[in-house]
Amino acid sequence: MHAPAPSLMPIADDGDALRFCSTCAFSSACLDQGYDKSRLAELHVLVEHVGPFAEGTHLFREGDKFDAIAAVRAGTVKTYVNDSEGREQVQGFFLPGEVIGLNAISRDQYPCNAVALDSVMLCRFSFPGIAALASRMPGVQQQLFKLLSQDIGKAALLAGNYTADERMAAFLVSLSRRYAARGFSAKRFRLTMTRNDIANYLRLASESVSRGFRRLQDAKLVAVDRREIELLDLPRLEHMAASILRG
Amino acid sequence: MIPRTASQPASPITFDAELLRRYDGPGPRYTSYPTAPAFHNGFGALQLREQAQRSNDEPIPRPLSIYVHVPYCFSPCFYCGCNRIITRDRSRAAPYLLRLARETELVARWFDRDREVVQVHLGGGTPNFLSPAQIYELMESLRSHFRLTTRAERDFSIELDPRFLQLGDIASYAAAGFSRASFGVQDFDPVVQRAVNREQTVEQTLDAIQACRDSGFRSVNVDLIYGLPKQNADGFARTLDIVTAARPDRIAVYGYAHMPQVFKAQTQIEEADLPAAADKLALLQLAIERLGAAGYRHIGMDHFALPDDDLALAQDAGTLHRNFMGYTTHADCDLIGLGVSAISHIGDSFSQNPRDLPGWEIALDQGQPPVWRGLALDRDDLIRGDVIQQLMCNGAIDIGLIERRHDIDFDQYFGAALLRLVPLIEDGLAVRTGDRIAATSRGRLLLRIIAMCFDKYLEKSDAAAARPRYSRVI
Repeated sequence: MHAPAPSLMPIADDGDALRFCSTCAFSSACLDQGYDKSRLAELHVLVEHVGPFAEGTHLFREGDKFDAIAAVRAGTVKTYVNDSEGREQVQGFFLPGEVIGLNAISRDQYPCNAVALDSVMLCRFSFPGIAALASRMPGVQQQLFKLLSQDIGKAALLAGNYTADERMAAFLVSLSRRYAARGFSAKRFRLTMTRNDIANYLRLASESVSRGFRRLQDAKLVAVDRREIELLDLPRLEHMAASILRG
Repeated sequence: MIPRTASQPASPITFDAELLRRYDGPGPRYTSYPTAPAFHNGFGALQLREQAQRSNDEPIPRPLSIYVHVPYCFSPCFYCGCNRIITRDRSRAAPYLLRLARETELVARWFDRDREVVQVHLGGGTPNFLSPAQIYELMESLRSHFRLTTRAERDFSIELDPRFLQLGDIASYAAAGFSRASFGVQDFDPVVQRAVNREQTVEQTLDAIQACRDSGFRSVNVDLIYGLPKQNADGFARTLDIVTAARPDRIAVYGYAHMPQVFKAQTQIEEADLPAAADKLALLQLAIERLGAAGYRHIGMDHFALPDDDLALAQDAGTLHRNFMGYTTHADCDLIGLGVSAISHIGDSFSQNPRDLPGWEIALDQGQPPVWRGLALDRDDLIRGDVIQQLMCNGAIDIGLIERRHDIDFDQYFGAALLRLVPLIEDGLAVRTGDRIAATSRGRLLLRIIAMCFDKYLEKSDAAAARPRYSRVI
């Protein structure tokens, strides 16, 4: 019989009152620290499952008052700003298990827009609440610091003088690692972002993105079927992406 | 693309008259799945535009294919089931072209300009109802809104009626960019030609084929029809000999579908003149034998090609596809249909323009893209469409490939379809070996019957209600 193919629509399983969703941004912090159920319950009251939000829904806009961070439970979120000429600049894509709103922590307002690229479900953490809790639960605080530093590292990913192929490879390898880290397939996933979004994020022209995918496909590194991507030779892609993804 | 498995080289067809008689009933031709009767008018321009824009968003957007329908004909062929308007008034062409240009402009806006048009097909009606200058103008209008490929292997084809060609016309079609031509012949037997109101000499036809070769066309197709009134084996055999001697790269042999209640022109045909079922089958058998002996390979359904033709090569490579224009080497294009009654296949949708000229004209005169009806495909449609596509193109279903592509368990998903397939397997039309369901050499002429097992819409519709919509299978 055939082996079931990995799901192409990653979604985290639901948690309950005392268990976290498997992708929860805070689950490891809390579980590793051995907090008891009552402490976890304190964290849980701050947590709210919201959504689903339809494709194209804005989850927050630049300038909105900052009141919460949110972990993506399902779907993909794109963050972007508009430059002084009104042109959209894509800042990043957030997959299940990743946290949006972190770059607002040092401010009162969200510094960017966040929009759902497909049907999105979120796990919302009221920020004043979690900040207060962090002061009493060192594990939560550490996890916050960790998430913050990851977020800063991500932004630096694509600054620098790299070729189109290196950028494309780094983009695919980064998605692959991030899906794998949450237990999803590292080799087969659906690109939820548009060709224009990818181009904008990688600072390439749309045509260059398509040409890049075609080159990778001709070289048998990837297989592209509509929006579905299969990484056929991850080691070689890793090698191409090495200068960007080092460390 | 996720690599496709190469198809098996086509085995010769076995002609089994008893079997064909037993399975001859109405059935769709599967130039699309779902077929046109499933389209509905809840799908309009707004939905099509969204599908088009979404199709730009894929990492490698599909190339484009454009079909342009020219509805006019100078005189009515009585067998015809196409959407056409009979007139001798050539002045009707200019306003039609003007609106076509408007439609082109409206629709082209939806597509990113870096998407290459790799296929253009001008069909009808009679495209050469337009003058060569008008055809050139039409191609220029497409060029100004789309990026038409300049590659030598481009697939720009035109259907031509040899009776209305002037010397030099074909050279000007070549100059307009066309690289393939398709000629209607049907039958050279003068008795048949009179009975169907299409009198066309051998000389006219052969001259046109020669002119295509002289003008550097990549390929020529000839259409024949069996089952026409007053048709007999002697006359049809002569036609087959003349046609195969001219070595067109492709030959299509269609079965005449007599449905006068649907196609008004056919009421002119005397039912008494039609060959009996057994004689009709004998004509098909004759065609298959003569074409095979002349070195033509059966591609699928009604289509034959020389072994070095692009269709035969694509079939060997497993890259053959089927769309509204029949078989094609262009896998996975978004197909844009322009003109009255034209059908589009954009993103995950099918859609169709109004079938009546006034309906199409009014929409364009109001500045609206003329979409009459359509269908957004759901996941099940896509899975079944993939299965039927494989059957029609390769004569076989690669079960493992379907399971991987669509993340399903084939036997579980297609439980009901496989039950319907059982009698066909018992009759020797199809075989299942491990990971493959294939049409046998006896079943190759009955691909539609095998495909119908996988058609969910036939399951739903009352079989009787579906009857008049589809022609008989043979």
